[in-house]
Amino acid sequence: MRQIARLTAALLRAYLRDRIALFFSLIVPLMLMVIFGYLNLGEFGRVSLAIDDQAKNSASDQLTTILKGIDTLDVTESSTDAALMKLRRTELDMLVVIPADFAIAPARPGQTVPQVTVYGDDARPQQVAVGRQIIASVIDRISFAVTQTAPVVGVKDESVQGVRLRYVDFLVPGILGVNIMQLAVFSVAFALVADKQRGVLRRIMATPVRIANLLTAHVITRLFIATGQVAVLLIVALVLFNVTIVGGLGPLVVVALLGTLLFLTIGFALAGWAQTENQVPAIAQLITLPQFFFSGVFFSKNAAPEVIRPITNLLPLTFLNDALREISVQGASLWDVRTQIAGLIVWIGLGFLLAVRLFRFERF
Amino acid sequence: MPPIVQVADLRKRYGEIEAVRGISFDVQQGEVFGMLGPNGAGKTTTVEILEGLRKADSGSARVAGVDVFADPSGVKQRIGVQLQASAFPEHLTARETVDFFAACYDLDVDAIGLLRAVELDERAGQLQERLSGGQRQRLSIATALVNSPQVLFLDEPTTGLDPQARRNLWGLIQSIRRGGTTVFLTTHYLDEAEVLCDRVAIMDQGRIVAMDPPRKLIGDLLARGFTKPVAQQQASLEDVFLDLTGHELREA
Repeated sequence: MRQIARLTAALLRAYLRDRIALFFSLIVPLMLMVIFGYLNLGEFGRVSLAIDDQAKNSASDQLTTILKGIDTLDVTESSTDAALMKLRRTELDMLVVIPADFAIAPARPGQTVPQVTVYGDDARPQQVAVGRQIIASVIDRISFAVTQTAPVVGVKDESVQGVRLRYVDFLVPGILGVNIMQLAVFSVAFALVADKQRGVLRRIMATPVRIANLLTAHVITRLFIATGQVAVLLIVALVLFNVTIVGGLGPLVVVALLGTLLFLTIGFALAGWAQTENQVPAIAQLITLPQFFFSGVFFSKNAAPEVIRPITNLLPLTFLNDALREISVQGASLWDVRTQIAGLIVWIGLGFLLAVRLFRFERF
Repeated sequence: MPPIVQVADLRKRYGEIEAVRGISFDVQQGEVFGMLGPNGAGKTTTVEILEGLRKADSGSARVAGVDVFADPSGVKQRIGVQLQASAFPEHLTARETVDFFAACYDLDVDAIGLLRAVELDERAGQLQERLSGGQRQRLSIATALVNSPQVLFLDEPTTGLDPQARRNLWGLIQSIRRGGTTVFLTTHYLDEAEVLCDRVAIMDQGRIVAMDPPRKLIGDLLARGFTKPVAQQQASLEDVFLDLTGHELREA
């Protein structure tokens, strides 16, 4: 324990003196965030929504009017059949069908509550999720106004002003996830392979230091750096993009650190395997690029062909992004995202075993 | 006293190349033992096997009473090493570097005292990557001494150093030996072996071809009727160089 603390102190001191490493761990992620944040803001900013109002009463009018007044939504009125056609051609993100018996009134025992049916385009789950959030919170607010009781089904948190939810709110957790992956995999792999090539690791291995302790010290060092990185990214997201983070900052940071830990173990495994610095970017890209595309960072993870979806759903970054997004966008608690956390922990275990196994310093 | 290093029939092969071809030798406690040979003779491979950094194919090796193959970590606890192609972690000062290695042994040391022993205490706060070649070699020896080793392994310690820095390092090695530490060094400088070593083993193509005190090796050669074609000069160009530039270290 004491050995780990001493090694960590030395490594952290060295890391903070390394301007280039600091640049890559803070400035580059910020640039990524700013670039993608602005890029995606205009391009995917609105959710196209069709409403088929079969009720045509005052309650349905009220709902339609509120939805039309929301900036994020691009609302048209349409028949169900026509809208479903458009939906299949992905010309539309969502369809809301308001049933003929739609009313806003306190539910009495034994009476069925009118069901608003929402269709969504599977290929655009981010937009659909944003839309669902908005619809749910609007209905909650209307029914709350009428019944003066808490809604039976609905959003957990009163502060969930779903109406304010924009695409960038949805995007930020994904950017956070991808930056965590990039920092952990690349910075660790480059630094350690450089140490290996220069003979630093060889010199350290001539001492009886335990590899696990050395690795742990490196991991803790990077967790400190990653905490700083996450903090800076969140502050910029809040200030620059005025991002809404519905869930708690605490759970968000916990999940972010778990993700950092996971990608660090992968970075270490890579550093252990690679013999030269030239091998690092190639393999690191091979590991990170598929996750970049298939883990729902900028593109829908459901854009992947159905056959490989069981695989993409198990990718490390998928677990991380899903957990970050559910906390940030839907206000989930750590317990709510326990499945994703379990996935992250399994990957951490696998990565750690792989890293310890692959760490070899012999040149021959 | 039993030998502090015992090696019997050590072999190591890298694919087609047989780097070490069945060597046997002992190193006595308290001596400076030198391994001489041209580049590629197998010196570094031998040393790295004894340091627990490399596995041998066959044979046996005991260092400081520990079987190197069975307990490499136990050997590492008892020896100090200076590797040939190695470097220190970047962005640490000389003092922090010594402390870092002390942490690797899980020991508390007087870092400044160790730096003073290698005449580097005035550079304690300087980043190690800004030290000169000779200073870095001395720092390297300071880090090798953090665990008060029984045997100090130095792999070509003076390669790349200027004559002043070499002689300064010789003095340091002799003072370490006076402190009772056995020193095992490799070199391809024959004058260095002659000045420092109680005994030398000459290695060539993976085999030890001769092993004796330097004086005896020279005496044996002369006894076989060897004469140099030109009479030995009483001074060498290095003597001229040192006479003109002095023995003091030239490190800013």
